[in-house]
Amino acid sequence: MKRIAICAVAQHKCNSNQWDKRFQGMLLDVLEEIQEQTGFTFDEDTGVRNVITCSDDVFDARTISDNGVTDVVGAHYRGEEKMAQEGLNGLGYAMASILAGHDDVIYLAGHCKESQPESRNVCTNLAYDPFYGRPMGLDFLNVAGLQARAYVEKSGLTQQQMAKVVVRARQWAARNPYANATDQVEHGEVMASPMICDPIKSLHIYPISDGAVGFLLASEERAHEFSDNPVWITGFGCCMDSYFMGDRDIASNFALKKAAGRAYKMAGIKDPKKAIDLVEVMDCYAYQQPMWLEGLEFCKDGKGPKFIDESGPAKYNVNLSGGMLAGNPLMIGGLYRAAEAALQLMGDAGEHQAADVKRAVVQSTTGGAGQFHTVLVLEQ
Amino acid sequence: MAEYFGTKIDDIFNTMEQRFLPQGAQGVDASIGYNISGEVGGTWKLTIKDGTMNLESDVGDLTGCAVVLNADAETFVGVTLGKIDAGDAFSSGKVAVNGDLTILGNVLPKVFVPFTPVVRAEAIIESMPERFRPDKAEGVNMKIGYDLAGDDGGQWTVIVKEGECFLKESLEADCTVTMRMDAQVFVDLNTGKLDGAEAFSSGKIAIDGDMGAAGTSAKLFAKFEVPGADEKHGEELISLKCVPSINQRYATGPLMGKWFKGLKEKKFYATRCPKCGRTQVPPREICAACRVRSEDFMEVGPNATVTLIDTVYYASPDPLTGKIRETPYVALFMVMDGSTPDQSFSHELNPKDINRIKPGMKVRPVWAKKRTGSYTDLVYFEIDD
Amino acid sequence: MAKKKKNRNVGIIGVGQTEYSSHKEYQNQAEMVNEAVRYALADANLSLDDIDCVIHGNMELFEMVHQPDMWHSLGSGAFGKDQLRITTGGTTGASLVCAADNLVASGMYDVVMAIGLEKLQEGHTTGGITNMADPLWFRHLQTGALTGSTASMMIEEFGEERAKIAAMKYRILMDKHACLNPRAHRRLGLDYDQMENLMNTSPKLVGELRLIHMCSQSDGACVMIFASEKKAKKLSDKPVWIRDHITIHREETFNNFGIERPEWTMRNAARKLFERNGIKDPLKYFDVFEMYDPSAWWGLDWLREFLLLDGDEHLKLLENGEFDLDGKLPVNPSGGVTASNPIGATAMLRPAEAAMQIRGDAGPQQIRKKVKHALASGFGGTMWTVMVMLEKELNW
Repeated sequence: MKRIAICAVAQHKCNSNQWDKRFQGMLLDVLEEIQEQTGFTFDEDTGVRNVITCSDDVFDARTISDNGVTDVVGAHYRGEEKMAQEGLNGLGYAMASILAGHDDVIYLAGHCKESQPESRNVCTNLAYDPFYGRPMGLDFLNVAGLQARAYVEKSGLTQQQMAKVVVRARQWAARNPYANATDQVEHGEVMASPMICDPIKSLHIYPISDGAVGFLLASEERAHEFSDNPVWITGFGCCMDSYFMGDRDIASNFALKKAAGRAYKMAGIKDPKKAIDLVEVMDCYAYQQPMWLEGLEFCKDGKGPKFIDESGPAKYNVNLSGGMLAGNPLMIGGLYRAAEAALQLMGDAGEHQAADVKRAVVQSTTGGAGQFHTVLVLEQ
Repeated sequence: MAEYFGTKIDDIFNTMEQRFLPQGAQGVDASIGYNISGEVGGTWKLTIKDGTMNLESDVGDLTGCAVVLNADAETFVGVTLGKIDAGDAFSSGKVAVNGDLTILGNVLPKVFVPFTPVVRAEAIIESMPERFRPDKAEGVNMKIGYDLAGDDGGQWTVIVKEGECFLKESLEADCTVTMRMDAQVFVDLNTGKLDGAEAFSSGKIAIDGDMGAAGTSAKLFAKFEVPGADEKHGEELISLKCVPSINQRYATGPLMGKWFKGLKEKKFYATRCPKCGRTQVPPREICAACRVRSEDFMEVGPNATVTLIDTVYYASPDPLTGKIRETPYVALFMVMDGSTPDQSFSHELNPKDINRIKPGMKVRPVWAKKRTGSYTDLVYFEIDD
Repeated sequence: MAKKKKNRNVGIIGVGQTEYSSHKEYQNQAEMVNEAVRYALADANLSLDDIDCVIHGNMELFEMVHQPDMWHSLGSGAFGKDQLRITTGGTTGASLVCAADNLVASGMYDVVMAIGLEKLQEGHTTGGITNMADPLWFRHLQTGALTGSTASMMIEEFGEERAKIAAMKYRILMDKHACLNPRAHRRLGLDYDQMENLMNTSPKLVGELRLIHMCSQSDGACVMIFASEKKAKKLSDKPVWIRDHITIHREETFNNFGIERPEWTMRNAARKLFERNGIKDPLKYFDVFEMYDPSAWWGLDWLREFLLLDGDEHLKLLENGEFDLDGKLPVNPSGGVTASNPIGATAMLRPAEAAMQIRGDAGPQQIRKKVKHALASGFGGTMWTVMVMLEKELNW
């Protein structure tokens, strides 16, 4: 089976307001950590010749946002390509670049500072077409509300179950040195938090976060030069749903199921419940955890709430990082998930390390209400 | 007179009075010269002042005008009608402008209703065979004579026979009915500006021969569509303006922070790469070439040597303020004193030195009196002499 | 290929382009994408079902749309499929070609469709480009992509008269090519007898960079379809092979106008690309060069860089008509970027037009001599370069 190696990961701790560093500074911290772990260089013969970056022009308020990071990702007189969707897709693209034979070592770095724009919702409002969606005021928060409502109708998900998800997320986040929101919350607190976008309450929403994350990737032949303990990307799939909310069955996980199906197929997985030891899902809002787990086939359609009640997430090691709910920025939420999964597979997850993790699945979304999903399979 | 795109040059100027919008001319004081070349060209001077317009033709000397538009007749008509792209005409030199170009863009659209092609009687008559409706002409045979007086007048006979329609450029002797009127009246009748019954009763139209035939004839032809009217009756382009505005809060980080602090103290800080020694000004976290963190601070300047000069004539908006920059301005590239020679720093030049500046000269910074640790602390550079 | 052997070869089997024009008021972005997608599918004789993965690129801040591939999915055909989005400024279109090459060569996808587009007239181009600079320091000074630096450097090196005449000659040559290209945006109908007039009367933008020299701002989309060697041979009787590609970026700051100047990325990329492919004389080797020339001055200057020439060799070649359609190395038979510039697509047009030249169906701008080896370049960012080598045969 074709695979490429993740030789090292570095995460910048997520904060709600990283006022003391500009993103270049954050990315340099990440680069230095990876260099320290692996000793890689940018030598044109033996090192990294091509870099993949992940960032978003609207969130950075900067045309060609990869221009701003060139220096701190070592791309001066080297190649660089910006993956302008959620960063997990960058890992898939890196996989292609290495399997193609074009590169054998790639440095990948993503960043996003949600604290920079005065409103991340106004940013995502710009994702809607200027004629109808935008003037209506759609943004990723309120379309998530629409999707959450549809999912509640379909599955019977309750406020209690969503509160359970949030409480558990904070418990795990407290053990993750890179997580943002580590304050513990009580069940009652979550239930009582203000309704923001029915049925989404304020404590169901991922906190505004600034972050940066880096990976060193290598071909199978060269992985050992950079790591004694590389982790392998063995499956990748992504899928686009329709654009207009009315054209979609928004509680159906259409795109996620296809993306997962393709990733599992590439990785040779027939039954994810048996094959997968750890799951990281990009749960921007509490309802998304059970819903995405359905799409990844950890429970049947509509059975997400039951899965929560039966402690499914504990059984399958779901979001031991605290998940997106603990706070990562939008455009690289999936990269943080992948970083966590990689650390778990390497046995380097410290306080939140799970036992016997041999295979993991990582998921992210791009666009509103999960219009586009990406799934990655990692193994030891 | 020659026509371009169905329009004569004179039409554009002759209709200026009726297209003039006094309310748009309030506060306008401008003189615009038109220098149109070619056989049918000429020179016109349009003066707009105190809410009124004055057009002079055959002016000859247009030097007093604030702006003069030079073009050949065909291009001028084409651009006016929108048949020739104004941008292309300008880029390719087919339209040349002396003087203040902005007047054309700012004043003309405010003071005039856009020109639309003048409709002529000839065009209406000549379109009759096309507009003929054979389904309405069953069993009808007639000859309709048109005797139109005036500059754009003429005589025509429209023959309807056995379901077909022909046009003759003369008045036949045996017309079933002959209609006589001024050519402009004929145009107004056909463009909905004048009511037929009113025109007849007020003596504007004279009809010889079979009155009944006159009435029938009207039903045999589809309505005349004014060219360009299609765009009015068809789909209207609706323009909505929406300005998304998202305030940003940028972090300087410690290095740029120190840079701005330095400006407050009239100092330029650079970082030096520990590996290759190059000085980066303003300071940056990393030396991009060596890919190592570079945090050794040093002072450079304050004076510098100019290496490259860019004189900017194109006024573009500043994306942070939306204000249009004043032009011309000079962007300077320079090497600061004490900096490594491969690293240039760029800033603006004091406008007073625009004509004197040359590469190789030394320049010194000009500081704002009140400095707050921001971009505005450094006003510009000027020649150090 | 650099170190490793390419996993498998990739062929271009379909090209579709809209016309490039001023604001397409009659089409929204998704519709414009769809138009080009349909042309490409028709050209390749394929349906959407045959496409495994769609890749998308444009510079969204020009049109101020966040994640535009989501909206454009209405026209891109990406529904239900894998879809990636790669955006790298002006080089986007060429980066998409490189990405498609990587994706198909990897074995992960057999058929990839790449879409590059822009509706520049739905935004402010120069303002949008100025927005690429750091907001706290550099943005205040930058004026989009406009600079007179190349003109002043060339005037210094070759003398005012020769340099200005050469830049104008280049510009007119590009326009003559554009007049042949039915899709080109600006076809001004220039003639050489206008040189004197234009080079002195066209309004100045920055220094000696005049309006006449500068590229257009266009709406338009370009779509290309790529397939693995096996599939390409099956699906097409004239696949065009991607031999190699290289991307060279430069640091964030425009600090390269000091007393000592660095090697331009154009020369750096060309050097590396030709060396690793054993090409000693690019002028001789290539039959056509579709170069990304944002202005006449840059186009002319970069010919020296790309072709690894020295002194005034490039001026001599221009003056002797060697860049004309029937010259030694025709440059931009399509008219280049000064004629059509829909930024997200512009750098894709270059390999697209080059591929059509190899196929022999480029239309009125087809080069008479047989075209077997083509070179295409992309430009963007802070002087970044992407180069793509295309071949008629699998000859390496």
